[in-house]
Amino acid sequence: MQGRIFSVEEFSTYDGPGIRMTFFLKGCPLRCSWCHNPEGQQFSTEWVRGQNGCLQCGACVRAAADPNRLDENSAAACPRRLVRPCGKDLTPEELCAQVRKNAAILNASGGGVTFSGGEPTAQMPFLLACLASLRGVTHRAVQTAGYVDGAQFSALLDVCDFFLYDLKLMDGALHRRFCGVDNAPILENYRRLAASGVPFITRVPLIPTVTDTRENLAAIARFAAQNGVRDVELLPYNRMAGGKYAGLLRRYAPDFDETVPVRPKAECLEIFSACGLRATVL
Amino acid sequence: MTERVTERLAFLRARSYRDTRGDSLPTLPLPPDECPDAALSARLFAAACDAEQPVFYGEDFFGFNRFQKRTVRGLGGFGNITVDFESYLAEGLSGVRARIEHRLPTADEKGRAFLQAGLACLQACEALAEKVRRAAAAQNRTALAGALARVPMQGARDYYEALVAHKFLTYVLRLNNTTHVTFGRFDQYMLPYYRRSLAAGATRDELLELTELFFIAQNFDTDLYPGVQQGDNGQSVMLGGCDRDGNNAYNELTELCLDASEELSLIDPKINLRVDKNTPLSVYERATKLTKRGLGFPQYSNDDVVIPALCRVGYDLADARDYTVAACWEFIVPGCAADVVNIGVMNYPAVVARTTEKFLASSPDFETFLSHTEDEMHAECDDIIAKVNAYQYHRKRGAQPFVSLFIRPCIERGRDVVDGGAKYNNLGIHGVGLSTAADALAAIRQTVFEEKSVSAKALYDALAADFEEQEDLRERLLSCPKMGNNDDRADALGGFLMDCFSKYLNNHPTEGGGRYRAGTGSAMEYIKSAEKIGTTADGRKAGTPYACAFSPSPDARVNGPLSVIQSFTKNNMTGLPNGGPLTMELHDTVFRNEQGEKKVAQLVQAFIACGGEQLQLNAINRDRLLRAKRDPASDRNLIVRVWGWSGYFCELDPCYQDHIIRRTEYVFN
Repeated sequence: MQGRIFSVEEFSTYDGPGIRMTFFLKGCPLRCSWCHNPEGQQFSTEWVRGQNGCLQCGACVRAAADPNRLDENSAAACPRRLVRPCGKDLTPEELCAQVRKNAAILNASGGGVTFSGGEPTAQMPFLLACLASLRGVTHRAVQTAGYVDGAQFSALLDVCDFFLYDLKLMDGALHRRFCGVDNAPILENYRRLAASGVPFITRVPLIPTVTDTRENLAAIARFAAQNGVRDVELLPYNRMAGGKYAGLLRRYAPDFDETVPVRPKAECLEIFSACGLRATVL
Repeated sequence: MTERVTERLAFLRARSYRDTRGDSLPTLPLPPDECPDAALSARLFAAACDAEQPVFYGEDFFGFNRFQKRTVRGLGGFGNITVDFESYLAEGLSGVRARIEHRLPTADEKGRAFLQAGLACLQACEALAEKVRRAAAAQNRTALAGALARVPMQGARDYYEALVAHKFLTYVLRLNNTTHVTFGRFDQYMLPYYRRSLAAGATRDELLELTELFFIAQNFDTDLYPGVQQGDNGQSVMLGGCDRDGNNAYNELTELCLDASEELSLIDPKINLRVDKNTPLSVYERATKLTKRGLGFPQYSNDDVVIPALCRVGYDLADARDYTVAACWEFIVPGCAADVVNIGVMNYPAVVARTTEKFLASSPDFETFLSHTEDEMHAECDDIIAKVNAYQYHRKRGAQPFVSLFIRPCIERGRDVVDGGAKYNNLGIHGVGLSTAADALAAIRQTVFEEKSVSAKALYDALAADFEEQEDLRERLLSCPKMGNNDDRADALGGFLMDCFSKYLNNHPTEGGGRYRAGTGSAMEYIKSAEKIGTTADGRKAGTPYACAFSPSPDARVNGPLSVIQSFTKNNMTGLPNGGPLTMELHDTVFRNEQGEKKVAQLVQAFIACGGEQLQLNAINRDRLLRAKRDPASDRNLIVRVWGWSGYFCELDPCYQDHIIRRTEYVFN
């Protein structure tokens, strides 16, 4: 069995407790309008152009068979060798071996490994195998949007120590519009997670005029509170979000006005505290 | 920060105080070799002191700012050391004078010449201090005038007097052209005075303000001490660590200095912090707040490695426990060493390139090639030693009677530092480009010997052509194992090269009766030496820079900080007492909140736990660097770590700016 990752970070500071090694699994069923990891959306391996040092000479595009997609010809044509394949296949054993090399440092800090994406649950058999083989090696966390079959998600609950669970939009129609899928399975799995007793953090991206509306934040707060949650983390939209699209020859076209400032921190915190929740802005 | 400190900072940043300096120095006839003897050195020093005028910058609590722009020709030239502040602060210059007078009657002729020159220097100091005291009194600077009624001639009685005495000594040493006088273990030798002031009723806040004013005072006149680059002025402080008996010596003044440095965010003094495997996380968390400010310090050094390393080349255990750093990262013992820590450079990639040229084609297997490499490393050491001997460092410098008064036991021995007066007279050799050289060996092993995918000739031709039209081969070499990825195939070769260097070099006595000390530092050689070295087998293009000091090559793609830490801690470092840090860049967003800060602190702790020797971290933002390079006026106070020191980014030569920007291409976030 092999899984596909598009990045590994050895020192990710916002993906759970302690020093964490994060594997980003490739492929995601959602298409969030503000996605800042567009290379994580497709499961297939893609060719990506690094932006640092790019001469803007256009050789990569001219060499590509399809001018909308870079390929190995682009890689050969780039004078700075900035076009590289994005997507690496590896077995759970190989992944586990990489973690083991860092486990002493991870464990000494109270940290561990985090599976992120893309959407890690989209490669569920691989994810389960990795988590199983990391039992007893280090602390295991999954960062997910929860859009996955309920039975599969329940299986995941048995082999994972910690979740970072995203809630974006409570309104189903808006969720379909901005994330491309319905949110019913997400909310259902959230209830499962809350009932399971596995510790988790709820995370809410603050997207201007989309998720940071008073109605949406209040609805998320009520929903979280109903599920016995006390703390949420808020991630303000970063104007750098679109930075990676050019490397995939894609244009970042968010379906909202990104120049509008995110709702002030104090207002956000107040909305959550009204439901008895403590919010932190990252 | 108090209002007074804020005002002083604003005054410093306005920089207008530099416009009033004099440029009229006396000249004295020098001997043909321009190496004055003791008596002439003393006369030159007295002339330099005499040419100075009292200069006070605004509400100035310490005085002793430079009047003359330049130093007297023929003076000094010996530096990058630290002096015996501890004895000086306690006994004052009159105590030094008493020791000279005690020694004089039994001294031989050479000794008399040195000691009498020393007395003449002290007389010049006394006259200069008195001149400044009178000026301070005339201008109603009562605190300073009061302190100067006591110091520098008598021992200091409280923290303020000790600070004034300190300012005086570093100032006159600069007049003496004793460059890079580092401040040593400030939190140790100042502690008794600090405690005395507290006991006498001063509050911690008052003493913090005083410390801040003192730190600010170190940032005036630094334009006169440019070193290799502006900012390379040697004003390093070492904090923390253990005492001479091995007890933990991290104290309340250590923390006060960290507080002062963090609040001020100035490049001077540059903070170093001694830690060990028992250092609690809270200390790293405290220190990380400085890193977060983007200062590029503290630089950490690991007592568990450094002390045994110094003992192995002959330092007494109590002295080794007392270690500090020279201007950058070189470990020295304060007050009793005349070590020259940067007298030569081992250029690792040059040796590997030469071995490749001479022996790759004829080597039947990699082991044979490695044994040729070892022979060439030893030949390079012999060559370095021969050059050092021919250079005659000490004899070229002429007599140094003034600084010798503050290096033990010059007075008791009746000998100048350039004449073997100091307890230690060792010579340090940097090691530059280690990661490039180890990566080159790893690439040769994999492509030429294991895969046999490249012939020795093909490789040699590609290197000669600087990979022109051979990008594919270069790609293959770049994808071979690299130091920084926790890959034994490269890291073990790094260990092999360091062993070849240190085991051979450290066993050689110097002509002056000292020892050689190998290191992992680079100083500016990561750019300067690299310019002369052609294409290397790791995939590096001709003339491009190596990594700064002991770090992954700029050509290597590395996995991340955990791999880097493990790569650069797995080899035993106790053969490398000359020091040289692993340098890592972290994106400044990592420090966004306390959670992130704590994790950085844990990362440093992990480095020490793994047995790392020395570490410096940069909190860096690539976009900000690019903007500052384009438009220097927009960000004049942006600070970066360059090699062993922090400087203002906008004051650096473009080649150093570019290297720092390049380091950020793989910044960890």
